[in-house]
Amino acid sequence: MFESLPQHFRDFGLKADIRTIMLLRKSIAKGLANTLGDLYLVLKGLVTRSPKDYGPFTTAFYKYFLDIDIKHGENLDQAILRSEAFNKWRQKFPGQEDELDKPDMDKLIDQFLNEVHLSSYDIQELVSGKDILNNDDPSMADSDSDSPDALQNLLQKAADYNGISLEELMRRMEEVAKNQERRHSGGQHWIGQGGISPYGNGGAAPGGIRVGGVGGGKMARMVIGNANYYPVDTKVTLQDNNIDVALAFLKGIQDESSEILLDIPATIKEGVKEGGLFLPIQKEKLTQKVQVILLIDNGGWSMTPFIKNVTRLFSKMKRRFAHDLKTYYYHNTIYGGAYSDLKRSKFENIDKILKHHKNYSLFIIGDADMAPYELSQESVRSWKKLEERFPRAVWLNPLDERFWTGSYTINTLREVIPMFPLSPHGIEKAVELMNKKRGFGKG
Amino acid sequence: MPSNFKNMALTKIWTGSEHYLCDAELAQAFHMARVLGMPLLIEGEPGTGKTELPIQFSKDNDLELFIFPVGSKSTLEQFVAKFDHVKYLRDSQVEVLNAQREEKSLDPLSTSGRSTEVLDDYVMMGPGAKAFSKPHSVLLIDEIDKAPREFPNDLLFALSHRKFILPESGKVIEVSEEEMPAIVITSNREQELPTAFKGRCIYHYISFPSAQMMLEIMRKHFPDADEEIIEKCIGLFYQLRNLGLERAPSTRELLNWFKYLRTFSKSEALDKISTRDGMGILVKTENDLKRVK
Repeated sequence: MFESLPQHFRDFGLKADIRTIMLLRKSIAKGLANTLGDLYLVLKGLVTRSPKDYGPFTTAFYKYFLDIDIKHGENLDQAILRSEAFNKWRQKFPGQEDELDKPDMDKLIDQFLNEVHLSSYDIQELVSGKDILNNDDPSMADSDSDSPDALQNLLQKAADYNGISLEELMRRMEEVAKNQERRHSGGQHWIGQGGISPYGNGGAAPGGIRVGGVGGGKMARMVIGNANYYPVDTKVTLQDNNIDVALAFLKGIQDESSEILLDIPATIKEGVKEGGLFLPIQKEKLTQKVQVILLIDNGGWSMTPFIKNVTRLFSKMKRRFAHDLKTYYYHNTIYGGAYSDLKRSKFENIDKILKHHKNYSLFIIGDADMAPYELSQESVRSWKKLEERFPRAVWLNPLDERFWTGSYTINTLREVIPMFPLSPHGIEKAVELMNKKRGFGKG
Repeated sequence: MPSNFKNMALTKIWTGSEHYLCDAELAQAFHMARVLGMPLLIEGEPGTGKTELPIQFSKDNDLELFIFPVGSKSTLEQFVAKFDHVKYLRDSQVEVLNAQREEKSLDPLSTSGRSTEVLDDYVMMGPGAKAFSKPHSVLLIDEIDKAPREFPNDLLFALSHRKFILPESGKVIEVSEEEMPAIVITSNREQELPTAFKGRCIYHYISFPSAQMMLEIMRKHFPDADEEIIEKCIGLFYQLRNLGLERAPSTRELLNWFKYLRTFSKSEALDKISTRDGMGILVKTENDLKRVK
C-alpha cells in the first residue's frame, strides 16, 4: 500500500522514501491517521523539511489523494473548481443548483476544504466542546436553538467515523491509490463516495458538516490559505516573494577551518597507561566560519531591478556572516579592481581584494552581458585571478538562462567562473557546488 | 498505575495551559511526535514561543524536564555524557600515594567513594543521557541551528536507535518507544540543518501569529490588562512588522514593551503609544529607529 507515494512526492521535489511509508503505516496503526485531514497533517510532518516545502507538498497531496492537479500559475481554488472530485462532491447539494443567484463558489470551496482537512483533532475538540456545554452551562445550550442541532449532527458523524475499522480505512486508501494509477478512469475517489472522511459512509447529510464557529475544518483555510502553502516557483528570478526561499538555500553554505589543540583526555589516558609518563597528544579542532565577498554589478539600467533584492538578501544574511561580509561594486566588468562603495568612487585594487583569505566564498552578481569590446583581455585576466584565489567563486546571473548562449561575453565569463541563474533554484545549485569545494585548509 | 497515567499524559493531545496558548497546528504536530516517539523539530522566527512549548508542557503534566541549550561549541559529549579524565587521573595518583602513605601509617586520602576500577564513577551524564534514563520525561534541545555542523549528524544515531553508549565505560542507556521522552528541538533557521537529520524528526514551522492570535496571547499573559491599550499596542506592533525593518520586532519584544507600558497610568500609556515613546524595546537597530520616528 502507498507504494507509489514516495516516488510521487519525490517528483514534486520532496524527500520521501521507504521510511516515509513505514512511518505512515505506523501512524495509521497508532491511530493518528483516521481522516484525509489527518493524513495531510501526518504526511506534512513526515515529508516537509522547511517552509519552502509546504507549497510543493500541498500540490503533491492534492494530486495524489484527490486527483486535483494544480497547474503552473494556477491557485488552489481554481484547480479545485475544475476538478472532478469537487464537482462530484457538489452533487451532495441538489437544492442549490435551482437557486436564481449563482451558488457562492467561494463558500463552497471553503466547505470543500473544510471537509478535506477535517481531522480527528477537530472532532475531538467538538466532543470535548459538547462536554463543556452539557456539564458546565446547560442554559446556554438551550438558549441557542441552532447550535445543539448542528453539534448533534456532527457527533453522530464523529461516532460513525469511530466505528470504521482500520481495515476498512486501509481498503479505501488503497482504492484511492489504485485510482491514481489509472487516472481519468472516473473511478471512485474519496470524494466521489459522498464523503471525504470515512465517517461519510453513506450517512453524510446534505449540507455536510456545519463549520460555523466551532471545530469542523476551521483550520483548512488557515492551513491552505497561508501564502507559504502556495507553490513558490523556485526557477523564477529573485523577487520579493521568493527571497526567503533563496535565503534558505544561501544559509546552506558550509565552511570550516582547523587549528591544533592539546588533547587533554587522550594525554591523560595514555599517561595513565604509561604509568604516569605524560606525553602531550595533539588534535585538530575544526571550527566553522563563513566568509563572503559579494561583487555586484550596479552600473547600467539592466541591473537596476535586481540590486534591491540582492542587497536585501545578503543583508538578511549579515547576522550570520557578522564581520565577514565584504561588498564590492563594479560596472559591467572589472578592470584591475572594484569599488567599495555604491556610488563607485572608492576604487580598490584587485591585489587588495585578493589578499582576503582563500576560504572566502565569492558571489558575483551581474548579467555579464555587454559589448564584446568591453570585456578586454585584461578584464578576463582579473576574473581569472579571482577564480584562482577563491576556489569557491560562483556567478549568479539575473538574466534568463535562455539568453545566455546568445551572448558572447556571458559565454566567455561562464567558462572562467561557474555561472548559475539568480533564482532560488540557481542559488541552491551554486551553494551545492561551493560545499563540494570545502576543506582546503589553511593559507 | 502511575506509569500508565503518565503514558496517557504523553500520548493525549495537549493544547496548552492557562499560561500558554498552543497554536492548533503545533499541538497536532507535537502530539504526533509523541505518539510516534520521534523528536519534534520546530522552526520559526525568534520569539514565537518555540522554547516555551516543552517547558509549559512539562509543567502542566508534571513531567521532569531536561534542557540542553545549544551553543556554537556544543558537542555530543556535553549532550550525552562526559568522562572526567582529570578526576580519573587524580584518583589513580591517589592510589599510588595512598600505598606510600600506608607504609608511613598515615591516613589514606579520600576518593569520595569513587574507584578507578569502576569507570562509571567518572561518567558525568548530560541532559540527553539523563532524559533517556528517566521514562516519560521531556527533553528540550534549544536552538540547534547554533551548533557546529557535525552536532546534528552526531545526534542521528541516538535519535534513531533510542539509545546512548556512555564514553569509556561502554554502559548503554536505552529507552523503549513507549517510555521515550518527549523531545522538542528548536531552530531559528540561522543555518540549514542536514536533511538526513530533519528526516528523523517531525517537522513543524511556526508561522508568525496573526493579530487575533496575538490578542489571545496577550490576554493570557496579562489577564487584567486594559483592552484598549492591548489593541493599540498590537496595532502599532503589526504596523512596525509590516514596515520591512532590518529586524522585525517579535512577540517577546511586544510583551516586554507592554510590561513597560503597564508601569504607567492608562492615559500616559496611550500617550506613549501615539508618540511612539520607548521604541527602543521594540526596535533594535539605529536605522530602524530613524525610520520609525
